[in-house]
Amino acid sequence: MTDAAIAAPTAARRERLPLPLGTIGARTILVGLMIVTLMPFVTMFSAALAPSGTYPPGLQWPTDPQWQNFIDAFNAAHMDRLLLSSTIIALGVVPISVLIGTMAGFGVAKLAPRGSKLVYLLFVLGLTLPFEGIITPLYYEVRAMGLLNTKLAIILPLIGLFMPFSVYWMRAHFVNVPDEMSEAAQIDGASAWQQFWLVQVPIARPAILSLAILQFLWTWNQFLLPIVLVEIPLERTMAGALGAFQGQWGTNIPLLCAGSLIIIAPTVILFLLFQRQFVAALLQGAVKG
Amino acid sequence: MNVPNTAKLTLLAAALMSATAGAAYAAPSCGTGPVVLNSYFETGFPLPTELSKEFTKQFPNVTFNIKEDQFATLMENSPRVLAGDNAPDLIRLPSISDLVKDGLLKNLDQDATDLGWDKYPPAQLAQNRVADGGSPRGEGSLYAMGLNYSMTGIFYNKALAAKIGMTKPPETVAELEDLMAKAKAAGIPPIIIWNKPVVGLTFPLQNLMGSYGDPGAVNDWIFQRKGADIDTPTNLTATQHLEQWIKAGYFQDDINSVDYATANGRFHDGDGLFLFNGDWESGNLDKVMAGNVGFFLMPPAIAGGKHAAMSAPLTYGIGANAKNADCAAFFLNWVGTNAEARKIDVAIGGSNPGGPVDLAMPAVTAGSVTEETLAAGTTIAKDNGAMDFIANATGAIYAEAWTPELQKMVGGRQDAAGLLKSVQAEYVKELSR
Amino acid sequence: MTIAEPHSLPSASRPLLSQRGRGVVVAWAFIVPALAFYAAFVLVPIGMSVYYSLLRWDGIGKAQFKGLSNYLVVLSESDFLQILGNAFQLAIYFTLIPILIGLGVASAIRNHLSGAFGTTARTILFIPQVIPLVAAGIAWTWMFASNGVVNQALNLIGLGGITRGWLGDFDFALPAVGIIGAWVLLGLCTMLLVTGIARIDPSLYEAAKLDGASAWSEFRWITLPGLRQEIGVCVTVTVIAALASFDIVYIATGGGPGIQTTVPGLEIYRLAFAHRQVGLASALAVVLMVLVIVCVLPIQWLTRQPK
Repeated sequence: MTDAAIAAPTAARRERLPLPLGTIGARTILVGLMIVTLMPFVTMFSAALAPSGTYPPGLQWPTDPQWQNFIDAFNAAHMDRLLLSSTIIALGVVPISVLIGTMAGFGVAKLAPRGSKLVYLLFVLGLTLPFEGIITPLYYEVRAMGLLNTKLAIILPLIGLFMPFSVYWMRAHFVNVPDEMSEAAQIDGASAWQQFWLVQVPIARPAILSLAILQFLWTWNQFLLPIVLVEIPLERTMAGALGAFQGQWGTNIPLLCAGSLIIIAPTVILFLLFQRQFVAALLQGAVKG
Repeated sequence: MNVPNTAKLTLLAAALMSATAGAAYAAPSCGTGPVVLNSYFETGFPLPTELSKEFTKQFPNVTFNIKEDQFATLMENSPRVLAGDNAPDLIRLPSISDLVKDGLLKNLDQDATDLGWDKYPPAQLAQNRVADGGSPRGEGSLYAMGLNYSMTGIFYNKALAAKIGMTKPPETVAELEDLMAKAKAAGIPPIIIWNKPVVGLTFPLQNLMGSYGDPGAVNDWIFQRKGADIDTPTNLTATQHLEQWIKAGYFQDDINSVDYATANGRFHDGDGLFLFNGDWESGNLDKVMAGNVGFFLMPPAIAGGKHAAMSAPLTYGIGANAKNADCAAFFLNWVGTNAEARKIDVAIGGSNPGGPVDLAMPAVTAGSVTEETLAAGTTIAKDNGAMDFIANATGAIYAEAWTPELQKMVGGRQDAAGLLKSVQAEYVKELSR
Repeated sequence: MTIAEPHSLPSASRPLLSQRGRGVVVAWAFIVPALAFYAAFVLVPIGMSVYYSLLRWDGIGKAQFKGLSNYLVVLSESDFLQILGNAFQLAIYFTLIPILIGLGVASAIRNHLSGAFGTTARTILFIPQVIPLVAAGIAWTWMFASNGVVNQALNLIGLGGITRGWLGDFDFALPAVGIIGAWVLLGLCTMLLVTGIARIDPSLYEAAKLDGASAWSEFRWITLPGLRQEIGVCVTVTVIAALASFDIVYIATGGGPGIQTTVPGLEIYRLAFAHRQVGLASALAVVLMVLVIVCVLPIQWLTRQPK
């Protein structure tokens, strides 16, 4: 750090903006962070190529890479059925959650009937709720509904648990939409429902997209609900299934590593394809959440 | 339909009669229609899965839907899974007292009568009997069966043993400790063990308890007999020996982060002299360390004394709400009586297959470690030294007491006296609920 | 929407709403679906948690009313206090490491995270945010194993003497779990702070340079105050992540060695489902929910002052 700090003034003269550290120094730090970030994946990858059932050292290119491990892990994890199950659960959660969250956000921000402030406060209180706090009653509730071990056991509670953030997020968007827009629409005699769909939803698209991305990730990666509410790993989300995979194959390091990499691959690929949208959603999500 | 009404009625009556007769008199079976046995097994042990494959081969209408978890998770999950809507037909049970108390396990008394389990040696079934209300164990109704009957002792690496001049198994604890000291001095890790997520130190500890005290007293504690206490003078001596072993560096210092599979992998790789483990590993050891592995029972404290060992059934039960309970009972019976199943039991499981007294023991390879462990079983029977597992005393004692306290002892944060006191306190607390 | 056609509403009976009655009903129609899901799967369970916390119940048989005795146990028994303390200690690692590193990076690269390098850096640093925490737990268990990368690296730089099984070591298990959480949160915090610092008026730095301010005073008097809100966000996110940590601990250590890394979330899960002490589990759950709010509110309040 000190070397870089001393070098700073020289660099500053060359740059348009003053820099406390040289660009090279800063980039070095970032490269270091990137290595730390990637290292766990790299070591899993190298272990995944070791002969099944052995205990390879943390990082070592195997002399005889066992690519077969990935195929074995794919089959052992029933990856095809897992993808289907996770997708169904995500499709069950995200559209409904986003729709009713957007409606409520609009209702609280723009229609604001009397008493809605209090309701909004109730939602906000749920923002920090740790899922562990209510997992016990949720289990008995879902069991009483006869939904244990079904996908609905994950879908329905998740929609409820996502509501505080959805409402908070969409309200934050709608309060920033100038009132003139809706007033203009009202003069046209549009009902609230039409106004919502024809005027508000189109301009809320970016906010809605970000919300959908976040909720997709949260659903896909949800762990506690699936392990408590659904015994059958193939009816779970990816994270819950990964927990089960670790339970079954955790004693076989190469297979475990191969399986873990395969199970996290879909989200990572999606993220790489849509990284701009994902990063924007995650950053804003943190700020507003 | 031109069948006369009376004929229809007769048919119906006949059908009803045969149906009720079947329910009342026929022994449990898997029928002829398709059955899927909902099964919950333990990760890392291929025996039940191998048995299920053979079973499906013999009874093609029966298939198995198998879920596996490691022992610690299995312990954690079993009450919830058994209470859930999808209670397993077959489940590996760590400890049965609490589950019986909560009414989560099927009472197998009727099956025992129907299937002739009364021909089994009574001692085989005793550990799976529980009195009304959940305690004591060891008597009362039958709630589980063993796939086989295993026993713990000490495996040793023959090549490393030769290096330190060990020519025959030790005959006293002092001799054993002497061998460990020699190994340590020669730079060979004396003992391989795992200590997470649940501890393996319970094996050497219980072995020591059996060497210094009365195995019967340990069983009383495990079976929740009134007034039983783990904190006895002989158990203290045993625990102090274990503490000395830790302090002397006889265990590798990272054992708190080593799990069962890793520890066994280390032993396979020749990383240490002794492995405290059970005969369920014999089959595998004969494969991966053929000819280089031996077995002996924990020696007594004084030469010529009696041997004692942890010896417990590989316990499998049937959920009280299981959908295919009859077929599961039939499977448990098949495991103990079918020749092919018994062969698999010994070859893969490495342990005594149990079953009716008149059935012969499947043949084993001469000179194999499996042969040694089976012979050791005879010694234990002769010395009346069988103990159940101290971790099976209650549903939570393993996770809430033995594991944290023995991990603390490895970390130098608990001593022998404190350990026994903590375990007893947790035991009393759990029994008072 | 059936309510969109509320002509049958007896408007006379609601004089106050006579003009806006239709509007009010429609407005609530927008809010009620969300509220219904929220009530059914969050509010009702919270109420049930509070109710259960007053019972002694094994989840199967009859429950006994026990008053506040479960809370007494949770707030006085040394094991429970250690478990709560573990959560706070984790919060320190989860919070300090990412924020300090993030601040360092942000001040170093201020405004210069553009181009291909910037995109690559941002993408890579965000990957831990999109994978399940379970995967992070599995990966790092392997990193911290006796023959894992961490010990390999230490051996390489001549620190072979301090290698160990990190997650099984009484002194280092909790910090090691803290590092896993920090790894997950690092990218998010760094990017938040980098984005935040870009919004600070560059003329402030120009002026400081002209005044001959040191790098430290620049950081202390311009960067830090300018990032107040972003730091607040980071602290909030990381503290919640630490107090509500379950996935990582469940996978990486199972709470051991001893109860050195047991956190409230894990204990709730075990008490409720493995040890069948629903009352005690619920009391701990209520304490946890209250703790999170009590910790987050002051952070929000401190960092949300108007600019």
